[in-house]
Amino acid sequence: MTPRDLLPILAFAAVVALAPLLVTSNVVLNFLVFTMIIALAAQGWNLLGGYGGQYSFGHAAFFGTGAYLTAILQVRYGMNAYPAFAAGIGVAALVGLAIGFLAFRSGLRGSYFALVTLAFAEVFRVLANASEVTGGAAGILIRLRADPANFQFAERGTFLWVALALVTLALVATLMLERSRLGAQLVAVRENEAAAQALGVDVLAVKLRAIALSAGMTGAAGGLYAQYFLYLDANIAYGTWISVEALLAPIVGGAGTVFGPVLGAVILHGLAEATKSIAGSIPGIDLVVFGIVLILVVRYPPRDLPGLLRRRRRP
Amino acid sequence: MSGMMMGRRGLMLASAAGLSAPRVAGAQAPAVKLGILQPVTGALSQDGEYGRLGAELAINEINASGGLRALGGARIEMVFGDARSNPEGGVAEVEKMQAEGVVAVVGGFASPICLAASQAASRYDLPYIVDVGVSDQIVSRGLTNTFRFGPGFGVVTQTALDNLVALNDAAGKPARTVVIVHEDGLFGSGMARLLNAELPKRGFEVMETIAHPTPARDMNNVALRIRALRPDLVIPSSYYAEFVLLSRTMQQQRIRPKGIYCVLNGAASNFRFVREFPDAANLVMDCNHWADPRKPKTAELRRAVEAQNRFWLYNTPLNYSAVMLVADALERAGRADRAAVLQALAATDGRFERHIMPYGATRFVNGQNQAGQPVNTQVQGGDIKVIFPRDFADAQPVFPVTG
Repeated sequence: MTPRDLLPILAFAAVVALAPLLVTSNVVLNFLVFTMIIALAAQGWNLLGGYGGQYSFGHAAFFGTGAYLTAILQVRYGMNAYPAFAAGIGVAALVGLAIGFLAFRSGLRGSYFALVTLAFAEVFRVLANASEVTGGAAGILIRLRADPANFQFAERGTFLWVALALVTLALVATLMLERSRLGAQLVAVRENEAAAQALGVDVLAVKLRAIALSAGMTGAAGGLYAQYFLYLDANIAYGTWISVEALLAPIVGGAGTVFGPVLGAVILHGLAEATKSIAGSIPGIDLVVFGIVLILVVRYPPRDLPGLLRRRRRP
Repeated sequence: MSGMMMGRRGLMLASAAGLSAPRVAGAQAPAVKLGILQPVTGALSQDGEYGRLGAELAINEINASGGLRALGGARIEMVFGDARSNPEGGVAEVEKMQAEGVVAVVGGFASPICLAASQAASRYDLPYIVDVGVSDQIVSRGLTNTFRFGPGFGVVTQTALDNLVALNDAAGKPARTVVIVHEDGLFGSGMARLLNAELPKRGFEVMETIAHPTPARDMNNVALRIRALRPDLVIPSSYYAEFVLLSRTMQQQRIRPKGIYCVLNGAASNFRFVREFPDAANLVMDCNHWADPRKPKTAELRRAVEAQNRFWLYNTPLNYSAVMLVADALERAGRADRAAVLQALAATDGRFERHIMPYGATRFVNGQNQAGQPVNTQVQGGDIKVIFPRDFADAQPVFPVTG
């Protein structure tokens, strides 16, 4: 990997980083922060689903674990927000490892793997809803103390920079993975598991590493969510909404590519916001547009928006 | 909507009227923008629509009766935001409202939306008035911009217990044994724990506590257990669908305790349940938010709502009253300035009477209206009547239920 390869990522980071300096509207900044959180969660999904071909329907399990750990360690154990956030990422990765071990060791693939991950996320949701430590159905509230020492910022622009830094890190990590041995093995597993195994790839180990990385990244998105909105309940943290968001963005933007998840998140949420501001008086109109984009993308191969554009340009 | 739909023709008519009318005063005072935040897409959309209806009715009424007098007859302009049933949606809409320059935000409905949205508003010292959200965390965070006119969870459960004792005593203590049925999430489990601790102190015997999951598809086992135990009272803490299922199953199996007494139940104060299953709903009691039936304005508003072919739910009067609260604060502040409105809101007292909730003299402590309280309702003859407290009741309780 040469510095040249990093150029697109740095350019993207520079453009978004300028936003708080050029835009004073908190509506725009709030939109960008939320999109960055989704992009980070989606980037996590992309490592396992895009590169590894293991389609998870339950990334909420990792998002929620990262979010809850960040919140619970602060609220119940008085820990500082930064180590709590780091612990959230670590435990999310461990949860990924555990789910991966159970699922991959039994050789679950394709829709079976998707169903198992969905089930795990649901189990976590039910447990979080009933347990004391998560605050149950009443949820858990992180105290509002806007101070950088608490990982809370008075300005939305500052939070955008933090979220952007993490997304940039995730992009670099993805690029590094793409160029690494593990990345090549992962793609080999995606394309033909049996052939990869025949060539001496330790399929289980490769998948486990991928799911741990993937879960950690999505867990970081959960931690960011907790620090930004300062409130969690079981349906937010472990709800199916985030599993769907995490897989829709890469699918629309291009699964198994470095920029796919970010592109997908920006396109989907940008389109939704644009529709809302044009036809805002019709409730749910943006969701209709969301659905239409998804149908178009899935209907016409190569099944992602950049691919569609490339195809159009070809004579 | 109708206020926003004024098209070119309306504008021409208005300007024509303006030209022909003699000069009465100076220029019309600029409209005051008020943010109305409700979830009108997603799981909570029904509640959100009824909340919006209440806010709309209040704003239309204020504008039709000459606007805000202290502000030179300024009209209130609604800036509506769809919180889409989740906290992110609520926060995004508060940001938009802030950009539009609203003087206050009313609504939220669900506790998670209220928590996140009021926090977002606190960045701008933007007054936020919670319409329904009962979580006690909402007013215990030290946010100076957040006010709740209605009661919180602690007050509701306390009142529910006190009223149950009073109801039972007044009828000559017919009920002594209780079966608690609850959904196994925190709402139901928390309520069951509280009831288990408090009911014995008040002379009731809890025979059994039966938990069920949400969603539940079948209530036959629960109903059979109740039939075997033959309690005087059944106290369910469940959401809409599960309670409807339970009450219908009990009706089919001819299980008739002396009373079914709900607390913050999703169905017992809902006209949908009453209309769709009148027999199962009959004589069910609930302790919940409800409008003051003795105020003439309540009946007027209810007629207006039912004329639109819609049900009379508690969201409408709560939002109507919350908007009136802001209007009252604006009148006293004398200007559409957030700091002044915050001060005026905090100083609200018994002279605020344009609300239609069954509360005593308004008094805010840390943003919570100390007079906010739930009432006991009972389904009687296809209508939902207030039976307790006596000061606000429009019907006598039917308790114990016989036959």
